[in-house]
Amino acid sequence: MSASPIARQATHTQAIPSRRVLITDPTQMPDVYSSTPGGTLYSTTPGGTRIVYERSFMMSLRQSPISQTPPKCSLPAALLKNHSSVPPVSQPSPVQKNKARSNSISFDESQETFSMDL
Amino acid sequence: MAGNNTEEVEGSAVTEAKTNSNAEVPPEFLIKHPLQNAWSLWFYDNDRNKTWEENLIELTTFDTVEDFWRLYHHIKLPSELRQGHDYAVFKQGIRPMWEDDANKMGGRWLINLDRKQRNSDLDRFWLDVVLLLIGENFEHSEEICGAVVNVRPKTDKIGIWTADTSKQHANLEIGRKLKDQLGIHGKIGFQVHRDTMVKHSSATKNLYTV
Repeated sequence: MSASPIARQATHTQAIPSRRVLITDPTQMPDVYSSTPGGTLYSTTPGGTRIVYERSFMMSLRQSPISQTPPKCSLPAALLKNHSSVPPVSQPSPVQKNKARSNSISFDESQETFSMDL
Repeated sequence: MAGNNTEEVEGSAVTEAKTNSNAEVPPEFLIKHPLQNAWSLWFYDNDRNKTWEENLIELTTFDTVEDFWRLYHHIKLPSELRQGHDYAVFKQGIRPMWEDDANKMGGRWLINLDRKQRNSDLDRFWLDVVLLLIGENFEHSEEICGAVVNVRPKTDKIGIWTADTSKQHANLEIGRKLKDQLGIHGKIGFQVHRDTMVKHSSATKNLYTV
C-alpha cells in the first residue's frame, strides 16, 4: 500500500486504467494517429514526465539489501572505506565491521560473488 | 494477499533476502529504483606530477537509487578525504569542468564551509545535495549539470553547477531550494564560471544571492 508506483508495478498485478470519452464532432478527434481522443492515456508533468524521489524515500532505500552489496566497478583503494560499510542506523555490530574490512581488501574477488546474486 | 505475493517474488528473484529471517521483505527492497538521469561519480586526486585533467578520474556511473547507495556505502565520506581532493557527481556525459559544452555558459551556487563545519555539516550537506540532484527535486532540474565538493585546508566548498547563468528564474529556484533543504541560515551566492576562471573564487562577484 505504501509501495512506490515502481515497486507496485513490479510486485502486484493491477487493472489497466481506462476512461470513456464521448465524441460529438469530428473536430474533437486528435489530428495524429498516435493520440487517443481526449488526450493520451497517461498525462505528463510540465516539461515532460520525470522520475522524482523525495529524500526520505531514498533514505529508506538505504537499508535495502541491494544497497548494501559492494559496487560492481573497481575503485581506487585510497577511496574505499576501511571501517563500517553499513549505515549506522540499523546494526553497527563488530561482525559487520570485519566483513567490510575484508571486502575492501579483496575487492575484486568479492565483486564476482555478489553480482551472481542479482 | 499482498504478503503472499511478496514472498513468491522474494523466493524466486532475490536470494539475498533469505538472510532476513523475518521473511517479510518490503516490496521496495526487492527492486532497483531507476533514476531519471544516469550520473557519473568523479574523483579529483591532487598528484603534483600530473596535470589537472590527468588528476580528474571518472570512477563509475549509476542510474538507480540502490546503485548510488552501494557506492556511497563503500567509499569515503568527503570529511575522510585528504585535503586537496574532490568528489563530483555530474550527469553522465558532462565533465566537471568549465570547458565542457554543458558548463560553458553556466555557473554555480557556492556553499562555503569553515573548518568547524567539516565535522558537523560537510558530509550531511554533500549527501543531501546529491540526493536533491539524483532525485530530481528541483523544479528546473533540467538546468542542473552536477555538484562538486572540494576538501581544502581552510574552507571546504560545495558547488552546485547549472547550465545557463542567464536563466534567472531557474537559478533562483535552485538556490532557494538548496538553502531551504540544507537549512542554511546565511546567504549563498551564485558565481559565473567565466568570472571564476579569471579570478580567485573568493574575489568573484555574485550574480545572484539568496
